Amino acid sequence: MAATAQSMRGFEHLEGLPEAVFKRLYQQPATALAIFRRMLPNLGKTFVMAMLFNPDPIPISSLEAWVHPNKNSLKEEAFAKLRQLHLVTERQGTFALDPTFKVELKKALTGGGPPGCFGLPCDTDDKKKVDVSFLDKYATEQWESILHFMVGNEVPSSRRPSEGVVRLLLHGKLMEKARSSQETIITQLGFSFLLQEVNSQVWTLLLLYLDMAEQLRMDPVDILHFLFLLGSLELGQDYDMKSLTPTQKGMLEDLRDYGIVYQRKSSSRRFYPTRLATALTSEVRALSSPATTMRNAISQSDENGFLIVETNYRMYAYTNSPLQIAVLNLFARLISRFPNLVTARITRESIRLAINKGITAEQIIDYMTANAHPQLRKNTPILPPTVVDQIRLWQIEGERMKATHGYLFKEFTSNSEFNAVCKYANDIGVLVWADKPKMMLFVSKHEQIADYIRKRVQSNK
Amino acid sequence: MATKRKGPMNELPKASAGTKRAKPDESSGDDDDLEEEVPDEEEQGALTRVMDKFSFAGARARANMPVGDAVSRLFKRDELSFLKMKPDHESRPMWINPRNGKIILESFSPLAPAAQDFLTAIAEPLSRPTYLHEYRITPHSLYAAVSVGLDPKDIVAVLDRFSKIPIPNEIVQFINGCTGSYGKVKLVLKHNRYFLESSDMKMLQILLKNPVIGEQRVISDGGDEDGITRESAPKMGALVIPGTKIAAGAAQGQQITQQNGVDGEEKREGESAEELFATVTALKEGEDDDDDDEDADAVHSFEVHAEGVEKVQKECLTLGYPLLEEYDFRNDQRNANLDMDLRPQAQIRHYQEKSLSKMFGNGRAKSGIIVLPCGAGKTLVGITAACTIKKSVVVLCTSSMSVVQWRNEFLKWSTINPDQIAVFTSENKERFRGDAGIIVSTYSMVTNSRNRSHDSQKMMDFLTGREWGLLLLDEVHVVPANIFRRVIHSIATHSKLGLTATLLREDDKIQDLNFLIGPKLYEANWMELSEQGHIARVQCAEVWCPMTTEFYQEYLKETPRKRALFYIMNPRKFQACQFLIDYHEKRGDKIIVFSDNVFALAAYARKLNKPYIYGGTPQQERLKILQNFQRNELINTVFLSKIGDTSLDLPEATCLIQVSSHYGSRRQEAQRLGRILRAKRRNDEGFNAFFYSLVSKDTAEMYYSSKRQAFLVDQGYAFKVITHLQGIENLPGLAYDTPIERRELLQSVLLENAQNADVNSIERETDGGFFDRTRGDWRGKGGAVVKRNAARLSGLSGGDTMAYVEQNASANKKIKVAPGQQNKFMKKLKSDAVKKARG
Repeated sequence: MAATAQSMRGFEHLEGLPEAVFKRLYQQPATALAIFRRMLPNLGKTFVMAMLFNPDPIPISSLEAWVHPNKNSLKEEAFAKLRQLHLVTERQGTFALDPTFKVELKKALTGGGPPGCFGLPCDTDDKKKVDVSFLDKYATEQWESILHFMVGNEVPSSRRPSEGVVRLLLHGKLMEKARSSQETIITQLGFSFLLQEVNSQVWTLLLLYLDMAEQLRMDPVDILHFLFLLGSLELGQDYDMKSLTPTQKGMLEDLRDYGIVYQRKSSSRRFYPTRLATALTSEVRALSSPATTMRNAISQSDENGFLIVETNYRMYAYTNSPLQIAVLNLFARLISRFPNLVTARITRESIRLAINKGITAEQIIDYMTANAHPQLRKNTPILPPTVVDQIRLWQIEGERMKATHGYLFKEFTSNSEFNAVCKYANDIGVLVWADKPKMMLFVSKHEQIADYIRKRVQSNK
Repeated sequence: MATKRKGPMNELPKASAGTKRAKPDESSGDDDDLEEEVPDEEEQGALTRVMDKFSFAGARARANMPVGDAVSRLFKRDELSFLKMKPDHESRPMWINPRNGKIILESFSPLAPAAQDFLTAIAEPLSRPTYLHEYRITPHSLYAAVSVGLDPKDIVAVLDRFSKIPIPNEIVQFINGCTGSYGKVKLVLKHNRYFLESSDMKMLQILLKNPVIGEQRVISDGGDEDGITRESAPKMGALVIPGTKIAAGAAQGQQITQQNGVDGEEKREGESAEELFATVTALKEGEDDDDDDEDADAVHSFEVHAEGVEKVQKECLTLGYPLLEEYDFRNDQRNANLDMDLRPQAQIRHYQEKSLSKMFGNGRAKSGIIVLPCGAGKTLVGITAACTIKKSVVVLCTSSMSVVQWRNEFLKWSTINPDQIAVFTSENKERFRGDAGIIVSTYSMVTNSRNRSHDSQKMMDFLTGREWGLLLLDEVHVVPANIFRRVIHSIATHSKLGLTATLLREDDKIQDLNFLIGPKLYEANWMELSEQGHIARVQCAEVWCPMTTEFYQEYLKETPRKRALFYIMNPRKFQACQFLIDYHEKRGDKIIVFSDNVFALAAYARKLNKPYIYGGTPQQERLKILQNFQRNELINTVFLSKIGDTSLDLPEATCLIQVSSHYGSRRQEAQRLGRILRAKRRNDEGFNAFFYSLVSKDTAEMYYSSKRQAFLVDQGYAFKVITHLQGIENLPGLAYDTPIERRELLQSVLLENAQNADVNSIERETDGGFFDRTRGDWRGKGGAVVKRNAARLSGLSGGDTMAYVEQNASANKKIKVAPGQQNKFMKKLKSDAVKKARG
């Protein structure tokens, strides 16, 4: 699913953190668990589990023996991830798990660790206890008000997002100040943000928050700890602020604006995580379900689909939500609007405009599929294939030339060396182009290739 | 993708100028249409005035726009969220837009079938894909609704029953405004005298006060002081349309209750009328069946002079009371009856029955247009109508090929005596025997006023000299209003029935037909007929062929006018065509390949060694090729130019490939698709017909192609885009596979382009194909064309890399004689049969 890919892309941002930061991140069991769950490919998880309760380092060759020779690329991907996250230390052909991570993940899996490491539930009962449906409504309202604000809908001033949110949107270039007036307007990035699923929207925003926080000299480790912690909390349970660091206490205020946590008053010492928070670090594949629940809550109806796409490129949307209409307006030409129906048409022009705004054909198709009307859901495929094909073709029309950023390797000393590097690059999936006679290859990432070449040179010596 | 099917009503008079400009080439026009001369200024003005009166323009100005929410501004005047929904709107299937009369219908609602029947009666279908259908109420559609006997009150009531929102005032006013004037006054031919008839006395009095109309009145003694007579309204009576279920019942009933037949028939009258109108007035159950109220059903009439009818018609149009024409054929004593009936084996289908019931709604014949997809049996509808009226009939069609087809169909489906059906073409000018009969001819034969031969002049005198019961107009969409006016004025006919599959033109000339022939009586739903197996299921595909570099270079260099030949002759397109032919021939399909451009047609056909037919192919050769295509297992592909677009009946064809076409003509696309809709094998399980449109990528063709598909796409057809044909590289003997071959092809295209300053001039030749040599005078005109090519002596002697080239010979010549006629014995049998038939 593209939405999953989106949130994964978000995590790539984390991969670039320095080693020291990772070492500190692993000091918390909740964080260790979250990283294990969200950031490792399945094969990587298997490797970690193999090493977790093994006191000795494991020879790489025995790990390799588990993998079918045909699936070398998967193996290389898993190894690369483990190295990137500094989860393993490599010595003399063996892998050893990072000791801190090992201890904390054990704690997380088997229980233990200091009290409050998975949140400290309040010991006293809340006099005005809130239930799950209230939390859902609250989260929905908060989140929707941000989206409404982005698409430029007029929202009642009471529900206008706070200064902090606006600053964040500006910082992330999801919106920008219009040149002529003082108003903020949505950017291309913002448009593609709108078409994402709620869960990946939340992550996008939180990673922006992290980015901004670093500039404000807040400790990113503290922030990440808290975010990962939120993901492991229980919906409907109230938690005590006692166990939080000052930075984290400060964060609560911002998260409240996004609808990720609920606090009755800013002075209150208890807070509730909402569904937006608890879905943060869910298993990748289970991602869609909390997102669907969330979307249901947003559209405020039991039927989750409202879009009918016809083979004649007309689109009918059973909706009256200004937000949904504004989103449709991104990629279709609106025609008329009845109290509960909007008619629109997908045209080459409308798709072209959408693509100019930075929205991809896949995003549009995913959005239409996710919101397809129950009548359409009776079909397989759900959308008329001719329309889907056409939208893709319209996109391709504008993509005659494609630029790929990357690195050129040349002047290999021997053919065999070139071939080996070529094969390795292909295995880890970074090879873009290779020219055998000229012995040149072009890759999208160079670090591992450079490592590999260095290693080869060393071993040859 | 522009899927606009028809301009909104209120823009009609001016729209034609706009659409013209959108075309790349003014001179091109619609070549298969008869030329239209400068329109009659006066009449045009009258039409405009009527149109203005009934547009929604007024309604729009009145509507005030309430303040909406943040996205309201996106919809401009079509922001209708202020409308109140009915509390039970979930169970009702449609929305109605008060601003432009557009109706959106949920086709998955349980009420949808009933609503669909009703809407086809009162509104124009705009698009009918799978889930949501769109209709539009227009003055013309209401005109049609009234003419089949619907009451404005009923229209509003039924609309209200189906609508999710209460019917807006604008719509009610619009309906009343239109129906108030339309259909109120009828022009009736009775005992061969013309009467203006109306159920509203006041209406006639208004008309009589008009000086022009008053002058034309015939004072008779039967009426009151105004000369207005009063009688009871006609009813469906015992009229049965042959071939329908009721007809079968009636025949039985007659045998049993011969003695007290009157009684039995009276009863059945109620039934049949009820059944026929069940579709349109299904929701009137509550009302009393016997409308014996004399006052409501009484009609008033006064007579007008026969010569003055046209003046009166024109004046009524100006006044805003267009005349409805009806023909009371059962009481027509003067014109001799034609003894013919449908053969017993002819069973007409439900939609044909429905369309005919609209025509004969109240026991009289109404004039109008019936729209059925190609291959859905338009001919049978025409024949059934003729058999119902049982008077002399003139049938006009587009080519002499279809003249022959019409005659054969008449003989096949009806019991008419072969002597009583005559053909009037350039080769054949005979009359029928007896005092009633059928004449089949072409539009060009009848309208051509220049240089008639002695024979055809005599024939024309025969046509214009007598009265006809019915004028059947086949493929009515090709003929612009002026031609019709000439036809209608020269042939005195009591009723007119237009038949077509595609009532649309890129210009808006089609609107005039509403007044000149009559309203659209019925339009069938393509998808529905295809689901029921009446027409073939079709897979449509658009194949994108990238241009080769050399061709694209030349393409870009040329002026837009001359570009066409490069994208048509694109070698990749040629290869795609070759591959598809090969693939489908192996599957056992019979393939038709269409190319508008005759140069390309010949080039493709010769290269692939297939027979081809264009305007210049002699009649004899055409028939030979077509017969071979139908029966010979070795001839599975035939190349056709524009002449094959309409009225060509080839039920064997199951696959269609379109190489070049006429710009953005939606009609041509639909007509061509029609060639495979009647596929014989359509009811085989899992059978699909195939429709390919080959398009050169990144050229103007892409734009035209999307325009062309608009109509079919609105009918619910889906065009799949194929960017790569799997396995095309491996086809043995793929043409133009080497750069040298491609360069040679390019040279020949360049040469052709240089010789023919205007590539479209080739198409004029196929225009002649439409006339189909029925116009004897067409041939001699042009004379031989002298071509002069500049060349150097060194070039001619081989210095300019010119060399001897083997040209592909035409496959046409290889087909010797049609199979089945080769055998002497068979020949003898046939001639014996002919002799027998002649008696």
